[in-house]
Amino acid sequence: MQEFNFVMPQTLNELMIALDETGGRLVAGGTDIIPRMRRGLFSAATLVDASRIDELRFIDEQEGRIRIGALVTHQEMVNSALLKSAAPSLVQAGETVGCIQTRNRGTLGGNIANASPAADTIPPLLTLNAEVRLVHRHGERLIPLAEFLVSPGRTDLAPGELIHSVIFERLLGAWGASYLKLGKRNGMAISVVNAAVVLVLDSAGSIQDARLALGSVAPTVVRSSSAEEMLIGQEPTPKILNQAAEASAEDISPISDVRSTKEYRLHSAVVLARRVLTEAVAQAEGKLA
Amino acid sequence: MANETRTVGKTELRKDAWDKVTGAAQYVADIPQERMCYGAIVRSPHHFARINQINTKAAEDARGVLRVIIADDIPGRKIHGPLVQDQPSLAIDVVRHMGEPVALVIAETRQAARDAVTLVEVDYEPFVPIFDPITALQPDAKKLHTNGNLVAEFDVRDGDIENGFADADVILEETFNVPRISPAYMEPENSVARWNDDGSVTVWVSSQHPFTDQADVAEALNLPVEKVQVKSAVIGGAFGGKEDSTLAILAGLGAWAVKRTVQIVNTRQESFLAHPKRHPAQIQLKVGAKKDGTLLALKATAHMDTGAYASLGPAVGIILTETLAGSYRVPNVELKTLVAYTNSPLSGAMRGFGSPQSHFAVESMMDMLASALNMEPITLRRKNILRPGDQMFTKVVVNQTALSLPICLDNAEEIIKRYQKIEPAPGKKAGVGMALAAQSMGLGAKVPDDSTHRLEWLRDGSVLLHLGSPDMGQGLAMTAEQITAEALGLPYEMVKSVELDTLKSPNGNVTCASRMTYLTGNAVINASRQLIEQLLTEASKMLNVPREKLAYKDGLVITPDGEKVVAAEFISRVADDGRQFISEATFSFPYPEETTPQHLPIGMPHVMFCFGAQIARVEVDPELGTVDVTHMVAIHDVGKVISRSGVEGQIEGGIASGIGYALYESMVLKDQGQWIDSFTEYLIPTSKDMPEHYENIILEIPEASGPYGAKGIGEIPLVPTAPAIANAVYDAIGVRVNSLPITPEKLIKDMI
Amino acid sequence: MKAIQIAFNLNGKLITISSAPNRTLLDVLRDDLGLTGAKDSCGGEGECGACTVLMDGQAVNSCMVFIGQVQSHTIVTIEGLSDEGQLHPLQKAFVEVGAVQCGYCTPGMIMSAKALLDRNPNPSDLEIREGLSGNLCRCTGYVKIADAVRLAAEELSHG
Repeated sequence: MQEFNFVMPQTLNELMIALDETGGRLVAGGTDIIPRMRRGLFSAATLVDASRIDELRFIDEQEGRIRIGALVTHQEMVNSALLKSAAPSLVQAGETVGCIQTRNRGTLGGNIANASPAADTIPPLLTLNAEVRLVHRHGERLIPLAEFLVSPGRTDLAPGELIHSVIFERLLGAWGASYLKLGKRNGMAISVVNAAVVLVLDSAGSIQDARLALGSVAPTVVRSSSAEEMLIGQEPTPKILNQAAEASAEDISPISDVRSTKEYRLHSAVVLARRVLTEAVAQAEGKLA
Repeated sequence: MANETRTVGKTELRKDAWDKVTGAAQYVADIPQERMCYGAIVRSPHHFARINQINTKAAEDARGVLRVIIADDIPGRKIHGPLVQDQPSLAIDVVRHMGEPVALVIAETRQAARDAVTLVEVDYEPFVPIFDPITALQPDAKKLHTNGNLVAEFDVRDGDIENGFADADVILEETFNVPRISPAYMEPENSVARWNDDGSVTVWVSSQHPFTDQADVAEALNLPVEKVQVKSAVIGGAFGGKEDSTLAILAGLGAWAVKRTVQIVNTRQESFLAHPKRHPAQIQLKVGAKKDGTLLALKATAHMDTGAYASLGPAVGIILTETLAGSYRVPNVELKTLVAYTNSPLSGAMRGFGSPQSHFAVESMMDMLASALNMEPITLRRKNILRPGDQMFTKVVVNQTALSLPICLDNAEEIIKRYQKIEPAPGKKAGVGMALAAQSMGLGAKVPDDSTHRLEWLRDGSVLLHLGSPDMGQGLAMTAEQITAEALGLPYEMVKSVELDTLKSPNGNVTCASRMTYLTGNAVINASRQLIEQLLTEASKMLNVPREKLAYKDGLVITPDGEKVVAAEFISRVADDGRQFISEATFSFPYPEETTPQHLPIGMPHVMFCFGAQIARVEVDPELGTVDVTHMVAIHDVGKVISRSGVEGQIEGGIASGIGYALYESMVLKDQGQWIDSFTEYLIPTSKDMPEHYENIILEIPEASGPYGAKGIGEIPLVPTAPAIANAVYDAIGVRVNSLPITPEKLIKDMI
Repeated sequence: MKAIQIAFNLNGKLITISSAPNRTLLDVLRDDLGLTGAKDSCGGEGECGACTVLMDGQAVNSCMVFIGQVQSHTIVTIEGLSDEGQLHPLQKAFVEVGAVQCGYCTPGMIMSAKALLDRNPNPSDLEIREGLSGNLCRCTGYVKIADAVRLAAEELSHG
């Protein structure tokens, strides 16, 4: 592995100062950085270790907004009762990340910063209309996750900036949220395609809000506006859900690679879209009753 | 023979397991060494290229670097190979596959060695590579080796193929493709070599053939064999992949060059690139049968890709050819197998050795034929299975152990009916399929096929077993200890194997070919008899009783008047005299000239076979094409169970590999011209990919010539798995996939 | 590149080591501390679990933890599992059931199993398979490994 200096701040303040003064890269769980560093795909003269900053480790709710600290691990999200009730699709996604060893180390902040189109947490968070709180030594800002993810592997993170937390509004009313991942094998599966959805029904049972995100089928995770527009105001019948799922094909541009083919991804994205929509409708209708 | 055995047939505890569960077991890279330095290999980034020049100066000048070695520096033999000597230890003028070793850097630290690898300047002139054996065999294809691209060709006939097809009511023809897969043992290849003050070298290996490593290192270093000591460390799996030279030669060269101890450990990436895989093959199969299902004719042409160097390609080609008619009687046969060089990574030995490839073809074909004849697959198989006394197309007469075949089918029939009643999960389609398997044992006629082992009876009455072949993790030592203990009537705890050291151990030859229980077992039984004879001869002298009046049982010498004296008494008195009870026995695989057909190429035929069957139940998601193996039953005849947990472990592990072959594994070239080289992209089954419901049915139809009736089990468990799954998938959704792995992409393509 | 000092609890003892920071916990365990139970199988990509140790009681791949990140944490390796020479029920079960073949995956597998039983003393078959899904084995097919975990779970719940 390449040589680097390693800085070990103890508090968030020290972390921000260290990033600013060294110009170094932040490392949290290391599950993305270490393999990439070994292959020469990531380099840094200085690594700033964020792993002991407890101030970034929280899952809470403030005035109807759920906040998850950047250092929360996938396993911590899976274990969270708050998230199980308020963001079940995020928990479903967390359960499919790698294996227990990876889930114990990999963080939410790391997953987002890595900005892979195959990331598990991004589709659910996009459907939750999540925002990212970024902090640096001299200030902070809030940016919608959709805008924060620029291109594969690239975010809007500025030098010296770090992800503080992810925030989304608690869903109210008759809602359903679902996530599905299609991998090549049952254990330690990387996405061939994944899909997340949030559906909200009005008191009459029609679709009031629909948010569908598909991953591994485009350079970044996409929200399918074609599907969403088709669903709003409609009754959630199997026919409508089917149409919407098929429509989502227009918003994606999958490629063929070592993992799968363009044709298969296109086909299975539609299947997954239909399945998460169906599951979300069932959840939402359960809340109506 | 006594019916009640003392240890044979039971589950004993492996003696090496205690160290393995505490982390104390020492694999090559774990053994503490003094003043160790590290080797790293400069590997070709090209698939096929001429080497115009190698400049090592910058690397040699780098901090911490001790030496950089290229082919010119090798004092002795520069080319090696288990069958054909065509593989340079370090590239000479040409590189023929990506990852081929070009130079060896030796440095004080692992990091310095790896960093210096990038400083070795090699001027390559790339050629257009060939990755397909059929292309490689075209007359205008560029020659990868001076003698052309055909490594071996086998042509085997029996009967009259034209008449066979002429009489057939149904003829089916299909082309099957099986992929290149990696043995993917958990311990990547490695070796440590130490230069000794007396000009000898000691090499630690993780290898199936330490004595061959010894000869290889001696040749490369121009040393007499006695100056090379090879020690077998604990081995982290091999599955055939460690039957080629696993870095012993390079480590030896390193030690010789710097006169110190050198460690070379392959990364997993290097292991994927540079170490032997299972042969990919294209098998064109044509079968003809009568309306009633009788097989009349079988014709096949198989093209095998052995990659850049021959490795064990010809031998794999032989078994692929011999097993193409599976477990069946076919009167008219015409088989042609061509083994070709390409610029792909090497293919060599891997568990099954040609049989998994052939069985995917023939066992898929049997179900296709059953469908065309409107017969149950079981019924079609029943009609054609070999029976004792039948001749295979190699003219080998099948013995009594073929009685396991109808028993396999009886069991399979019951299981299939049971599984067909299980309701699939909502939205899924269920299917049940089966396959039979025949796996050859031994190296084949006219190939030296023997194994030597030694027993030493110690003064406390315990026995040291000097195994001449390494236990590669499968439990050979435990099995041999159980057989020895049984033969001597001693408790299992009193027999201990000693780790293989060429300086001290007899040469048991390569651990491979489903032959070890058979050869080793027979050898140690003979050696045990010799020990008993030595004991009774000594006892006779010491007790002054005629030898023929003495008996031996369970560690005791029994005198004519019924007095029992422990063996230790005599052994310790002999030891006091400075003598020992030692016996060594060699057992050779029986290829009796009178009954073994001699008209076939060297290495053919094999005369002893293991038989088995597997039944798979799958659930297929009809929208996504994903396949889950929910139930699996393995029926295997082992002649006689020696170690119950050992036999079960071999079967269970084999099935996992079979599932990988069927559904997940394939070493392909990616778009950028790079081979798949990590576990991220090369997927082997995890615990979540194994069937939830699994059952072992172990048959024991004694092999008369086997130790306590035992046969082999090492390879056959992964032979029927893939075709059983393919047949189950067809049963579920009516899609026949003729290439492995059976991926959702392939299924959906045919379904939508 | 400046060396760093790291103090952490290793197998019940507080230790301090000095290391170049561009090394992982696995490197330090094997090369500096002579604890070779944890193994490298996948090339340090976190894909095989052969290097699994417990970090604050949780299963992690030690090849994916920079040594600097170990500061102040508690690490338990396979060598620290037995108590005063007494094998842990998992270790005994693995041997008794025949779950050890080549053994290369065994240390990592046992540590993952320990973490599993610590957080879920009575796991279902599915939970066992899930808990071990980050540990690759090529020899056993995981069948006897699951048997060993079940046996150890029983033993631990009675003991």
